[in-house]
Amino acid sequence: MTFPVEDRQGFSVVMLNGEIDLNNSPDARKVILNSLKKMKHVMVDLSSVEYIDSSGVASLVEGFQYARTNDLEFGLIGVSEAAMSVLRLARLDQVFTIYSSLDERLEHGS
Amino acid sequence: MAAEIHANRFRLLTEQVGRKFVAGVEDFGYGAALLVESVFWLLAGRWRQQRVRLSAIVQEMMDIGVQAIPVVTILAFANGAMMAMQGIYTLRDFGAESQVVSGIAMSVTREFGVLIAGIVVAGRSGSAIAARIGTMQMAQEIDALRVMGVSPVRYLVSPILAAMLLMMPILSVLSDAMAILGGGVISVMELHINLDTYTTRVFSELVPGDIFQGLIKSVVFAVLITLVATGNGFNASGGAEGLGRATTRSVVLCIAAIVVADMVFTFFLSR
Amino acid sequence: MNTTPPDTSSQPVIEVNNLVTYYGDQKILDDVSLSVAPGEIMVIMGGSGSGKSTLLRYLLGLHRADAGDIRLFGKNIDTLSSHEWMEIRKKIGVSFQGGALFNSMTVGENVRMPLREHTSLDENTIKIMSRMKLEVVNLAGYEHLMPAQLSGGMIKRAALARAIVMDPGILFFDEPSAGLDPVVAADLDNLILRIRDAMPVSIVVVTHELQSAFKIADRITVLDRGRILMVGSVEEVRHSDNPRIRNLLTRTSEDEPVDVDGYLQRLTEGAMRF
Repeated sequence: MTFPVEDRQGFSVVMLNGEIDLNNSPDARKVILNSLKKMKHVMVDLSSVEYIDSSGVASLVEGFQYARTNDLEFGLIGVSEAAMSVLRLARLDQVFTIYSSLDERLEHGS
Repeated sequence: MAAEIHANRFRLLTEQVGRKFVAGVEDFGYGAALLVESVFWLLAGRWRQQRVRLSAIVQEMMDIGVQAIPVVTILAFANGAMMAMQGIYTLRDFGAESQVVSGIAMSVTREFGVLIAGIVVAGRSGSAIAARIGTMQMAQEIDALRVMGVSPVRYLVSPILAAMLLMMPILSVLSDAMAILGGGVISVMELHINLDTYTTRVFSELVPGDIFQGLIKSVVFAVLITLVATGNGFNASGGAEGLGRATTRSVVLCIAAIVVADMVFTFFLSR
Repeated sequence: MNTTPPDTSSQPVIEVNNLVTYYGDQKILDDVSLSVAPGEIMVIMGGSGSGKSTLLRYLLGLHRADAGDIRLFGKNIDTLSSHEWMEIRKKIGVSFQGGALFNSMTVGENVRMPLREHTSLDENTIKIMSRMKLEVVNLAGYEHLMPAQLSGGMIKRAALARAIVMDPGILFFDEPSAGLDPVVAADLDNLILRIRDAMPVSIVVVTHELQSAFKIADRITVLDRGRILMVGSVEEVRHSDNPRIRNLLTRTSEDEPVDVDGYLQRLTEGAMRF
């Protein structure tokens, strides 16, 4: 299984979906890191994620850290309440750059 | 009335003997199951996604084997020297003291080399392993392994078994060499031969079967010490006192097991 | 603040039906039945000798039931193949009374151990996951310490981090507050509540501490001498008029009416010959 990546207005948007758990978080990780290697601006869309476990969140953390060390942009969009509560548990909601949607990010300008 | 009490006592006695016997059979069965399971994980763990880790085996080899080298060396050397002294003293009455060399060569390789190595390992590791596993049992670490889906036998016993099977033969060969050297030093002093002559004579007396006999025993000792020590660890209970009891019991049973096994093997192998 | 109230209509994650267990000839648990719903915190409460620790050991599959059955995630654990058991074990986290951390490993290695044993995740992912869980239990930065260097409260929190590192569906917690001072114990209770609110997990807590039980429980099962006295909400237990529960709540021991024959029998058994 792999996750689609869409190019929208200069952003790579990684569309995660379904349940992100131990079985497919390695795929998510690979897609995220690959996108960061190709594009300067990457957003991960969590709006169709029903459940994300900590291996999935760990992949997001790794992507974020990769972006920071390489001076790239990495953000989350469409974070559902369930995903947010997982992030909140480890206080990661204060760490990630989170937007409600890509439009919100675009309004901020670069 | 008196007869009844007597009968009662007899009944109690037979009951006790029976219970001990059943407990003994149970222990034996437990040991056999432990052996089968730990061998299973060593061979098949890879396919069940429960590999026995090489690093764990190496660690055990250090603890069980490498660290026992100094003690084995000293004990074997001293033992060889003592055998030479006693042999020369005894054989002198018959004017046959030069025969001591073949006596040492045979009895060391077939018997005492491996026995010394076995007793050292039983004393060092027999207690240490029982204490370590016993502590883990009481701290619920064994339960923690089981609920994590990690077989305690695979995780704790298999590496020990592998390390024992590799290190016991090496230690017993080392022990053979040191005991022969010890005997050699005394022979050189007492019989006025030089070490070369002694070595040549030792090797001319030895047949591969002698050394082989020692090696078979070392493998048997390796299995016995592993099972007795780990078994006592797993069955430890009753706090610090119980741990002490399990440790003592482990060492005593390890030594008893290897000595008895040694006797049985000698009986069959020397026919 | 419980965002997802326990949903008692869906299939229970734990179901115990008429469990009977013996230790030797002695009956320890007698006809115990209970169920735990997804997302629920069930506290199993009782004094010492009530059988609550025994019940936990059976729920963990450490022993086989003498009668009755235990279902985890809908599967009868007595009839599972070893492979099925393994799959269930991955979805269970346990925090033992004394922590049961492996003393030969650092805190970090302890927390990572289930991931190493059961997953083939990337090393980076494993590290980040274990550190996230150490953050959750406020032990960030302690991963290189050995268990022997930690205080009692820290050991419990490290054990909790290890128990939740695989995001289990059921978390078992044996005596969270035993041996801790009240402030540390209260912190741990809050932590349990936070975890339940953030993750889809059912939590079974075995305790004899009333304060802790009343604070965290959705429902309480009261065990006494191997039997269930009652299962109910905190309010129901608090206002129960069952004398044995009242005794537990007020911490008095009850004077049993003496059964003369049975009592004499116990005292004289094997001592008299006629």
